[in-house]
Amino acid sequence: MAIAKAERLMNLALCLLGTRRPLSKRELRESIEAYLEAGTDDSFNRMFERDKDDLRELGLVIETVEGLDGEVGYLARRDSNRLPPITLDAEEAAALGLAAKVWQQARLAGAASGALQKLRAAGLPEDVDPYEAHGALEPRIPVHEAAFEPLMLACRDRRPVVFDYRKANAAQPGTRHVEPWALECWRGHWYLAGFDRDRGAERVFRLSRITGRVRSRGTGFTVPVPDVVTVRETVASWAGESADRSALIRLRAGAGYPLRARATAVRELGDGWDELEIPYGHGLDAWLVEFGPDVVVLEPAELRADVVDRLRAVAKG
Amino acid sequence: MAGKPVRPVNAIDQTRRMLSLVTYLRERPGARVEDVARAFGITEDELVSDLDVLPMCGTSFRGGDLLDIDTDGERIWWHNPAALGADAAEPLRLAADEATALLVAARAVATLPGLREGDRQALLRATAKVEAAAGEAAGASSRLSVTFESEGGVFADVDRAISERRRLWIRYYSPARDEVTEREIDPIRLVSVGHTYVEAWCRRSEARRTFRLDRVAEIKILDEPSAPPEIELRDLSQALVQPAAEDPEVVVEVGPGGRWVAEYYPHDSADELPDGGLRITLRTPDPASLRRLALRLGRDGRIVAPRELADSARRAARDALAAYETGYEADAAYGTGHAGAGVPAGADPAKGPYDRQEQEL
Repeated sequence: MAIAKAERLMNLALCLLGTRRPLSKRELRESIEAYLEAGTDDSFNRMFERDKDDLRELGLVIETVEGLDGEVGYLARRDSNRLPPITLDAEEAAALGLAAKVWQQARLAGAASGALQKLRAAGLPEDVDPYEAHGALEPRIPVHEAAFEPLMLACRDRRPVVFDYRKANAAQPGTRHVEPWALECWRGHWYLAGFDRDRGAERVFRLSRITGRVRSRGTGFTVPVPDVVTVRETVASWAGESADRSALIRLRAGAGYPLRARATAVRELGDGWDELEIPYGHGLDAWLVEFGPDVVVLEPAELRADVVDRLRAVAKG
Repeated sequence: MAGKPVRPVNAIDQTRRMLSLVTYLRERPGARVEDVARAFGITEDELVSDLDVLPMCGTSFRGGDLLDIDTDGERIWWHNPAALGADAAEPLRLAADEATALLVAARAVATLPGLREGDRQALLRATAKVEAAAGEAAGASSRLSVTFESEGGVFADVDRAISERRRLWIRYYSPARDEVTEREIDPIRLVSVGHTYVEAWCRRSEARRTFRLDRVAEIKILDEPSAPPEIELRDLSQALVQPAAEDPEVVVEVGPGGRWVAEYYPHDSADELPDGGLRITLRTPDPASLRRLALRLGRDGRIVAPRELADSARRAARDALAAYETGYEADAAYGTGHAGAGVPAGADPAKGPYDRQEQEL
């Protein structure tokens, strides 16, 4: 049976951490059973390179040192791999225990548990069960979008990406070349902010509209990443949260609670209807139409026309 | 909906865990399997499978310095801790992904409106310490952020009711019926997935219900004790609300401008249409609740089935038009009208603040 990858990685890690002098590839191959069984030099070399990359993903700092005889050696120095001293009390430990359970994306869930385990090994108190300490609170970060992981890595490593993106009203997706800056999750949906090379400007993308694979491009960023990237503000402005006008509507008594909750003024008309002033931003017409015959728009005329137009489309069937 | 199980089983995660495990076990001869599994957040089976691998590991398989670790199923013994120098057993620094995962989650939870102040402070202190210990590795965490939405006041009341085991009275808005109803609920847990919900036993319907906090119009903590029946808590890695197989089927056809429906409604299928639109099939216990969707879609889509739902949306639109135009007396003959300006350029109904019942109940 082939030797499990975890066993091979573990052995490589222990060898590199345990040595005080650089170990050559040849020495490592002789020390680790899985490498002895690797077959040809080529397949060993490929395996070895991949394993080093994997250990680096786990946070191991592996140095490559050229010896006097020209042979390359590898080691993971303690100084560069040691966790600095960290002391957390029971409350802080419980808080991190809660945080470590939040991700619903395999890679980050694994990384969060790994972080907690490293802290555990470093003496993080464990007598408090985070569920007990926090009652019945379960925050979850959903990640349903396939584009999330490649974009997360591209943001981290500052690699430009190419993907097909279908805008909200577009029949066909278009190809976008983007320098990815940051990802943000708002109301359960993920958004990417970055520099759109074709448009020469910052853009925000919704991950669920990315179709097909995210491919990365080797070249670096051409535009500096801003210190503060504001995704949510951009999305909120699309969403019309920055309503700057006001509308006047009639609402059937007892109906439309969310409209009432948002109203800046409510007058009872006494005839089974109320008159409300509500903030008017982008998207209000579509929302008002949802209430059907329980809402009548009075002002402004533009909103009234939009609502009537939408109602006609539905009435026609 | 992808929502894969969270439990990591890959070689990377196992290696990462075993590296911490050797550090941990070195300090604790005779550690109990049960305790170690709990400390590491893994099952005892997972721990035992790690303990099967560790004796194959060492700094040189030939030198006889393999880790001599074994377990009798109850306790774990390491017979040659010297096989790993004290150096090699020191706790390892955090990787960029590890720091990111922990820090982004901790910051997100700390911003939850309504969280107990003590918990928030603990999260902030812990975050600062982890940032300091992670050093450069913490940098990448600024590339990700998550905001949980919650109604702070309602959250605090529900949280208190859960910890004091007391019943709640709420006035709750149901978008499906556009009505506010009163109910008494026995709260079980608070769940934040973008929005925050309380899962509870509803005394009115004698069933488990999930209520979104921003739809709670009013809340009171009652003196009666809360006594939810023992129910199995669901795995929340999937959508909060999943239609049942026996629920009636609804078919919606949308144009390119209505594709957002597929993003917001859990569905059985979404087939591409030649015009760039979609034919979406979904199930819901209460098709009438989708009348709002039909109205909202306007020219961007229509209900294909069931027929009664399409008819009721059409009727509602005609009734509504009657208030604007005399030609639209309910169900009266009417002119064809004509398309106006339509949806303003750049309009994007899917991004509206006026939520689309994406987790509708």
